[in-house]
Amino acid sequence: MTGRVVLGLVVLGVAAAPLLGHQYYTTLMLPFFGYSLAVLGLNLLFGYTGLLSFGGALFVALGAYTAAYLTSVFGVLAFEGIVLAAAVVGFLVAIPVGLLCVRYVRIYFGMLTLAFGMLFYSFLFKFYHLTGGDEGLRVLRPRLFGLAFESLDKVQFLTGPFYYYSLALMVVGTAVMWRIARSPFGLCLRSIRENPGKAEYVGVSVRRYRFYAFLIAGVFGAVGGTLLAVPTGLADPLLAYWPHSGTLVFMMLLGGFSNFFGPILGAFVFIFLQDQVMSLTQYWRFVFGLILAIVVIFVPRGLMGFLDPRQRAGV
Amino acid sequence: MATTRRQFLELVGGAAALATARLDTAPAFAQATPVRMGVLTIKSGIGAQVGEAGLRSAQWTTDRINKAGGILGRKLELVVEEESTPKDTVERFRKLALQNKVDVITGVISTGVSLAIGPVAEELKMLWISWDGTTQKGVEETMPNPRYSFRSTDNECEAVMASIVVAKNWKGKFKTVAGINPDYSYGRDNWQAFLWIMEKYGNPVTPVSDLWPKLGTTDFTAHVAALQQAKPDLIFSSHWAGDASVLMKQAHAAGLVGNTKFVFVVAGGVHETLKKSFTPEGMFLGYNTIYFDYADASPLQKQFVKEYNDRYKEWPVFECERAYLVTSAYKAAVEKAAKAIGGKWPTTDQVIDALEGLELESLGGKARYRKDHIPECNFYGGFTTYKNRFDFVTIDPVVKMTGPEVQKPSGVGLKDWIQSWKV
Amino acid sequence: MVAAGLQLVFGVQKIVNLACGSFYALGAYFGVTVVTRALAAGLPPPLFLVVLIAGGLALAAIGPIVERVLRPVYDRDESFQIILTFALVLMFEDITRFIWGSSPYQMGNVYLVYGQWKIGRLTVPVYNLIVIAAGGLIALGMGFVLSRTRFGRIVRATAENREMSEALGVDMRRIYARVFTLGTALGTVGGALVIPATAVTLDVAVEVIVEAFAVVVISGLGSMRGTFVGALLVGVLKAVAIAAYPELELLVIYVIVIAVLVLRPAGLFARAAA
Repeated sequence: MTGRVVLGLVVLGVAAAPLLGHQYYTTLMLPFFGYSLAVLGLNLLFGYTGLLSFGGALFVALGAYTAAYLTSVFGVLAFEGIVLAAAVVGFLVAIPVGLLCVRYVRIYFGMLTLAFGMLFYSFLFKFYHLTGGDEGLRVLRPRLFGLAFESLDKVQFLTGPFYYYSLALMVVGTAVMWRIARSPFGLCLRSIRENPGKAEYVGVSVRRYRFYAFLIAGVFGAVGGTLLAVPTGLADPLLAYWPHSGTLVFMMLLGGFSNFFGPILGAFVFIFLQDQVMSLTQYWRFVFGLILAIVVIFVPRGLMGFLDPRQRAGV
Repeated sequence: MATTRRQFLELVGGAAALATARLDTAPAFAQATPVRMGVLTIKSGIGAQVGEAGLRSAQWTTDRINKAGGILGRKLELVVEEESTPKDTVERFRKLALQNKVDVITGVISTGVSLAIGPVAEELKMLWISWDGTTQKGVEETMPNPRYSFRSTDNECEAVMASIVVAKNWKGKFKTVAGINPDYSYGRDNWQAFLWIMEKYGNPVTPVSDLWPKLGTTDFTAHVAALQQAKPDLIFSSHWAGDASVLMKQAHAAGLVGNTKFVFVVAGGVHETLKKSFTPEGMFLGYNTIYFDYADASPLQKQFVKEYNDRYKEWPVFECERAYLVTSAYKAAVEKAAKAIGGKWPTTDQVIDALEGLELESLGGKARYRKDHIPECNFYGGFTTYKNRFDFVTIDPVVKMTGPEVQKPSGVGLKDWIQSWKV
Repeated sequence: MVAAGLQLVFGVQKIVNLACGSFYALGAYFGVTVVTRALAAGLPPPLFLVVLIAGGLALAAIGPIVERVLRPVYDRDESFQIILTFALVLMFEDITRFIWGSSPYQMGNVYLVYGQWKIGRLTVPVYNLIVIAAGGLIALGMGFVLSRTRFGRIVRATAENREMSEALGVDMRRIYARVFTLGTALGTVGGALVIPATAVTLDVAVEVIVEAFAVVVISGLGSMRGTFVGALLVGVLKAVAIAAYPELELLVIYVIVIAVLVLRPAGLFARAAA
């Protein structure tokens, strides 16, 4: 019960954030919503299924470019449509990529996903007639439930209607992921992580389940990408660059991959920590590298692992 | 406790230092709050040299302004953030505007980033005066009527100047051309301008190769090999950062330098790395808006060049001029606007109105901000020579062209403008 | 062809080290500093190569330090190893930024010290040929060490079956340290060798990784012989792409990687057991 109460309070707190008046920090919450979804998807693959993907950025970029294409090229402004389209695109792309990648494990899986991510990056960069090249494509302000909120300027829009919309989307996505993780399917995934041989023996089709997990991760990544794209107003190829995948992995590790809420916490801490550290020193990459190294060596279960005494025992 | 003691000592030490500071430093600003100018500049990667040069100039200009009493008695302070990817720079722009609440944001060098920043500046109603970024996509302007964004000179100005000089001096001497330009809007604009102008000057050229290495490439071996295959009479390049000298080095190493003419439209930005040992004489080299060794330079430029060199042991490049222009233009606009309202601090709208049409003396000569928020500046370039006291090439004679000569007027397409010339 | 120097890094290491790109970059930066100082101190230009290589080798001293950092995760899932090396990439970038600043670094004039050769229609700087030769020599040297010397045999045995080797009395820690340092040296020397021809920036570490990965995958993880050929293959294909289909320039590598991984997952040269 306390878990639910804490959760409820957190959601309320987040919902109240715009009212505090710090516009900049409120806008910083928006990438948090997007990244939460993307990292939740990534963790389904890693924490639950045992596959470390270095291609998460591929789907985030797909989502962002879907939003860009729909708004600036096709003039579709309905955000519901955009999110749906992104989910579909993520799903469709995840099919061939997933089919190829889940045949391999561990290093090869990681390398293959990285290769696919970079492939997309190169495509986005070189075919500039289609994609705008390194300048990217603009993402115009979408309509939420058909409303354009013309009277609000961009910042008010972002800290107002769009904020709550994103929050709702994130909560819904999290709830969906929760169900998936708690379902028999999720259990199967975990058994695959523990011992693929045994799982196969018991009748779990290892490859098929990994593939499904990949598909789900792809959809979550793409939807996360749309939430990221609107505040920036731009989709650019660097979203698919491999260090961006590295950032997603960072968030996942930081928050803790063995706890459901780890990815969300990781995304939150990363974004705000990055903002603060970047203002303090130009050597923020070093600080972050150090933090990641410390987490990997000493606190591999991440922040959630640290906070949750049940998991602290036994690495 | 040790920390607080240390902090206390630091404070005391700092106060003592201040007290013993020279008396001829800036006048007391104790009364008014400072004016804060956000600066976004490239800090890493291939453009870092150029970004750093701009920042140094901005600081020099700021110190100069403050020594003379600041802007309307308020001290000018720079809040520097990094220009990196479009997405991250947008976030930093927003932070400067919403969190740091600066009065104006300057900087931004890359067109790719500027294309993202422009709309954000308009949305946030934040005055943005770009150092070197335009909002062109291809040769088309994407923001013809901005209110808060002041961009930089059009991308293709450097190429226009280079093309005109080359057409006049080398007419009939080359038929086949190859282009190697960075793969983004800037590179594409320059190459397109060059082709159109050659046509206009009655010197039709056959492009035998056009290569588009990613900005920041440091290995041109494959490109150079392709150029060798194509055997052009002339090689045209608009690489502006460290990659320009690497290209030159590798082209020279591959023996391309002997019979081929070279046009490096804006490599003056890294001129010190264009060593005599691999850079040919007689090549066209563009320096963009300032040439450090200009005999006819204004006293202001000469003073700047000397002080810059004394301090950094390097010679200033075009980004320095841009940063100076922008920072000084802001000051001038604020002062002009204030005069019109009796000396009070003007609103952003008033500053914008004052900035439009403003003329001032920049490092590279007279400059002016047009009503469409694009400035007019002088451009410099010439053919390289070894006759100097350095180990890198310089140009002689120095050709100077004014803004209107190399930049299309407001609202006119590049091709139409070129067609309208009388040659 | 310049890529050949790049790719020797992976051959020896069994851990997937994302920071090898950082070693390469460090080798380049350090190489510039060392050679520039030496030339200013009066070193005759033709000897710069010696100083350069020496500099690269000296820098490999960071290898053992890094290896010690990686030690705690040897027993864990490989994923942690990769992530830790990613953390190193971040840290190295800022260390490089701190020491050398953010501007690109180039070596001024020594590239053509050895002159150029005309081969048919092509003019090739002799330095490039030296680098290729060096790459070939190192490859041969590595092959010799691995197959003929005792050290090499131990390394191979360990790669095949760690527990057995340990049971037979091999000191794991020392072997690992040596292997890692060797790998580091390959990276730093590779970077140093290449720098006279080009420039190095802070981005190089991240970019090199991708190409290095591609070569390793194409030739097969763990196969030294394959690495050399793989690097050549990548370099040649890239050149062809640039000349013939410029749009594909960046894509070509990844398409090949994916193709190889799909068709022959162990790589073109690896042995049967993947």
